[in-house]
Amino acid sequence: MKTYKMSKDRFPEFIELIKTKGQLFGPVKGNGHYSFEKIEKFEDLDFDYQRTVIGPKKFLTPSRYPTLRYDKTGQSDVFVSDEPQIVIGVHPCDIHGINILDRLFLGNIKDPYYEKRRNNLIIIGHSCFPDENCICKSTGTDMVEDGFDLFFTELEKHYLVWVGSDKGLSIAIEAENLLSEEISEEDIQDYVRWQQKRSGMFKSEIPSFKYLADIIHLNYDSKVWDQFGEKCLSCGTCSLVCPTCNCFNVEDRINMNAEDGYRERILDSCTLPYYSMVAGNHDFRPDRTARLKLYYTHKLKEYIGKWGQPSCVGCGRCVTFCPVDINVITVSEALFGEVCENQEVCD
Amino acid sequence: MWKREKKPVVGVFGFSGCAGDQLAILHMEDELVDFFTSADIKFFHMAQSHQEVEHVDIALVEGSINTDKQLAELKEIRKKADIVVALGTCATHGGIQYLGDNEKEFEERMLLVYGKDGKIPEFSELVGNPIPAKPIHKFIEVDFSIPGCPIAKENFIPIYTKLISGLKPSKYPYPVCIECKFQGNDCFLLHGEYCLGPVTAGGCDACCPTFGVPCVGCFGAYEGANFESMIEKLIEIGLTEEDAKRKLMMFGGEATELALKGEK
Repeated sequence: MKTYKMSKDRFPEFIELIKTKGQLFGPVKGNGHYSFEKIEKFEDLDFDYQRTVIGPKKFLTPSRYPTLRYDKTGQSDVFVSDEPQIVIGVHPCDIHGINILDRLFLGNIKDPYYEKRRNNLIIIGHSCFPDENCICKSTGTDMVEDGFDLFFTELEKHYLVWVGSDKGLSIAIEAENLLSEEISEEDIQDYVRWQQKRSGMFKSEIPSFKYLADIIHLNYDSKVWDQFGEKCLSCGTCSLVCPTCNCFNVEDRINMNAEDGYRERILDSCTLPYYSMVAGNHDFRPDRTARLKLYYTHKLKEYIGKWGQPSCVGCGRCVTFCPVDINVITVSEALFGEVCENQEVCD
Repeated sequence: MWKREKKPVVGVFGFSGCAGDQLAILHMEDELVDFFTSADIKFFHMAQSHQEVEHVDIALVEGSINTDKQLAELKEIRKKADIVVALGTCATHGGIQYLGDNEKEFEERMLLVYGKDGKIPEFSELVGNPIPAKPIHKFIEVDFSIPGCPIAKENFIPIYTKLISGLKPSKYPYPVCIECKFQGNDCFLLHGEYCLGPVTAGGCDACCPTFGVPCVGCFGAYEGANFESMIEKLIEIGLTEEDAKRKLMMFGGEATELALKGEK
């Protein structure tokens, strides 16, 4: 991996440069919350943010998009245009989220709609400092080694720019008058100090996250799920804000002329009623408890069995946005709490 | 390649309400020509002067039932129609006029509103005798429901076009929160403001929250709504239990009323 240094005052020039490569998106503050929006000028960007409501998954699995158009004469697939989309300011947790989506959509069977969007997407990461809802240290996703094209670590006086792909390298080569390859001893010390400072800022941790999957498995019939099921609003917010949740529903939409129409993918949530309904109106998860349990056991346990890691990247969105405080922290605390209470082993 | 044999006959019927759902259909200006050509619209009070029809394939019925005369007409429509669709929150849930239900006895309410010299005046034959407002499924079998106050075209068109194409619309309930997060909005409830998104049927593209106004629940109850938890949340942000229930009942209709009584 190649690493460069960039003086902070050259950053606006860099933004101007990458704007010529395609549509640029980045973190923007509006109405009290952050979101990835189209960037017209450098001043629109605000990198001093913890999390957007919806992560960069919105560029890969948008909330709704057509996959097929049809009329009386036939049908054709709908793909996005080839214009590159560049998203800047993506935090390590969200890059881990994209890596998880890549594994799902670009595995043995490639999803052509996702693949096209992913090939068009240039990811430029940005370092961050955690708030009290960030749990990426526990999930091991506070640092990121791959999945980005470029990654900017913001130190006191300058940026360290890490190159993560060929695409990233060609941008870096084009921006060579803004970048320096000379990284001094002092720069390295700056970086270590920055790492130590960041590491000390984490306030939330799930100490036993490593064997949380085992606890979920061993304590599968826990009463904790009923308590959360009573509280859950079945509103689906947790799924939609989660950077790795990607379930979608498929609907045919016929236009008013009743002659042509399109097929659409719409993001879904396993916490909604009928999510698990199959042919013959059989619904094997009719109640909230069963659905919520599915959400968390899939995310924190089943996923490990298949991919070797949970599909939680510790971004803290469920912690921030669930209106009734059901999230990875409260669920794991409750599950451990119950074990501790029963067996008096946790003191 | 598919082909319809003939255009389905569609009737749009209206009972008690603001007629906003009929108006919402006429407001779909981009789709209006297609609406009148893709089906044979035989009965549409707000749009046509010719008002007789023997049989309709699909009846779109707006409004709640408020008089015995309306009730008789509704039953006639059921006889004439192969498919009956409840259109708008008044028809699907009872609408705002359901709000007064059960707060006082019906007679008492009638006296309060229409009373003269301590008596309820006679109602003309044109109107019929008043009965407590109810959604149409209380009286006849309803095949599909499209709530909304008024209906949203994004929600109405895909269901309607499936029906006129001889297909069965899929039923998949979700709350306003889903569409609110599609828009990338923050959540009012997290900032101590009331919002009924989690218990309200979606279909509106969360237009109010997107423009900074909390959801008041105008699409009626969401099928998966957890009213108990919602009330707790509203109390937590400073509403009294009574206020919380009144807000839920504004558009909630019978489904919400039963849930609040614990009979759901």
